[in-house]
Amino acid sequence: MNSKYDAMRSNILQLTLLAICAVVLLPLFWAGVSSLQPLDEVYAFPPRFSVKHAQWSNYSKAFTQLPMLRFLGNSFVIASTSALGAIATASMAGFALARFQFAGRRLAFGLLIASMLIPSYVLLVPRYMLCDALGWMDTYKPLIVPAWLGGGAFNIFLFRQYFRKIPREYDDAAVLDGASTWQTFRFVILPIAKPVVITVGLLSFIYHWQDFLDPLIYLSDFETFPVSLGLRMYQSMAGTWANLLMAASLIALLPVAILFFVCQRYVFRTLQAAG
Amino acid sequence: MQVSRRTIFMFLWPWLVGLIFWTGAPILTSLALSFSQVNVKANSQQAAWVGLSHYREAIGVQDDVEDSSASSVKQVTPYRDDQFRLSLVNSLVYTVFAVPLGLCSALSVALLLNKKMRGMGVIRTLVYLPHVLGGVATIVIWSWMLNPQYGWVNEGLRCIYLAVDPIVRLFYEQGTADWTTPNWLYSAVWCKPSLVMMHVWTMGPGMLVFLAALQRVPLHERDASLLDGAGAWHRFRYVTWPHLTPAVLFNLIVGTIFSMQSFTEPYMLQHPQQQDGLLFYMLHLYQVAFEPPYRLGYACALAWIFFVVIAAMVTPMILASRRWVYEAGMDAA
Repeated sequence: MNSKYDAMRSNILQLTLLAICAVVLLPLFWAGVSSLQPLDEVYAFPPRFSVKHAQWSNYSKAFTQLPMLRFLGNSFVIASTSALGAIATASMAGFALARFQFAGRRLAFGLLIASMLIPSYVLLVPRYMLCDALGWMDTYKPLIVPAWLGGGAFNIFLFRQYFRKIPREYDDAAVLDGASTWQTFRFVILPIAKPVVITVGLLSFIYHWQDFLDPLIYLSDFETFPVSLGLRMYQSMAGTWANLLMAASLIALLPVAILFFVCQRYVFRTLQAAG
Repeated sequence: MQVSRRTIFMFLWPWLVGLIFWTGAPILTSLALSFSQVNVKANSQQAAWVGLSHYREAIGVQDDVEDSSASSVKQVTPYRDDQFRLSLVNSLVYTVFAVPLGLCSALSVALLLNKKMRGMGVIRTLVYLPHVLGGVATIVIWSWMLNPQYGWVNEGLRCIYLAVDPIVRLFYEQGTADWTTPNWLYSAVWCKPSLVMMHVWTMGPGMLVFLAALQRVPLHERDASLLDGAGAWHRFRYVTWPHLTPAVLFNLIVGTIFSMQSFTEPYMLQHPQQQDGLLFYMLHLYQVAFEPPYRLGYACALAWIFFVVIAAMVTPMILASRRWVYEAGMDAA
């Protein structure tokens, strides 16, 4: 009797999970449907839930109506160089905070935590004025250079936590073999920390791919827009071509979705290890 | 590891440079600017000290004009910023609804996902997906979902109306014929619920935090309560919940901070028919700073006021947490 009850419960559980997945995926699914419909079907009333004649040319049109390829390329340049910078500099700082004994180590860690608590809106205007004074307006420098200067306190924290769990014996063995501190870090410890390297890279890539406010403030030349600003422009221009707009949105989502599916097992593991 | 000072700096310099020039110096500048009026001219920015007048302007205390004429600096015309109050209230209303609802959905989904089942990994990834995909593209897709005429949300509502029509007819002759569907983003009333809905949909990181906390609930406590004959509700209330409280506190604080600061959604979705219903605080701050007349000093004052407001919201949560957050669970988190 009990097992029958359990089986029913597990069926209900499965159905509920299925329903949740459906709700979560519904907007994406519908964007897919709309992106394939011809214009008169998109604006049919009542709305149609299916595609009669898939119009794949909507996707090629999305690329020709606006320079989507250019936007994607711009986003890729910004996001990938920022991610590289975050990996390089956050791992260095994380290593120093995890391994080195020095006066002011506690202070440094305190500053790291404190800088996580400082909200970015307080810094918005002074950073803007600094970039203006440096002549960085309308370049990618305000978006990329900060990533090469520590790459965000949270990323440093992730690296530090991970490095602390790597046994010191690795360092000692490397030093015995005649490796310098830098070589120990670069060729022994960093390769062990691959999951956190991938996580930090992915998180900062996604962050910069989606970032909207910074590009909005620092970029004004259409040619330099990343895909977030490009889509925004598309929305205001092509408000009457919902099918093209949906196609463009899905194109903008695709790189992030692929990256996430490839890397997700590392991300869940790292975030859980960091506690 | 004992290393030379040079080596330490070799590893730390990028972060230190960033800390000093990209965080430390801007904080001090921001504080100073909030007491100054910045004149943006062609190639130079000049700042003049105006004391507390930006803060007075925002909060709505009238400047005493006679008094200020004594100072050599030309006073900013004293006027009250009506949008300050409106935008603060808008952000607060949004946060008060979005955060608890987001917490509930994240927690209930996390409870379901904590079960052992085939394919659970895939489901977890799918549920986390909206958060990963968040940003401009998802906002565009949602604005199409919520289109009053062609969107699926209202079409779904119309189907529900049609389905309940026979039941309603029993009590009310007209049935559901005169029931209307909301105009969502084209309405002053429904624009905020639209954003709350979008927020609940992207439950991502909060759900992950809950999931991690659930996996730390000691099995022996659960088994002991089963032996004692505890039902599902009692098991949740007295075994699982205490271990979840640190995660609830964390999500509450982080959720409040992020919801208060939401910018991209209201910026993308604002529409005249909302009658400033989506004029959130960050949007107002952005407009003050980066739209003519580019009042950079006043924007800094707005930022610091916002900082105090959010601190005032979060501090009581932390203080009150001693009453309901389970300490042993705290160590694990």
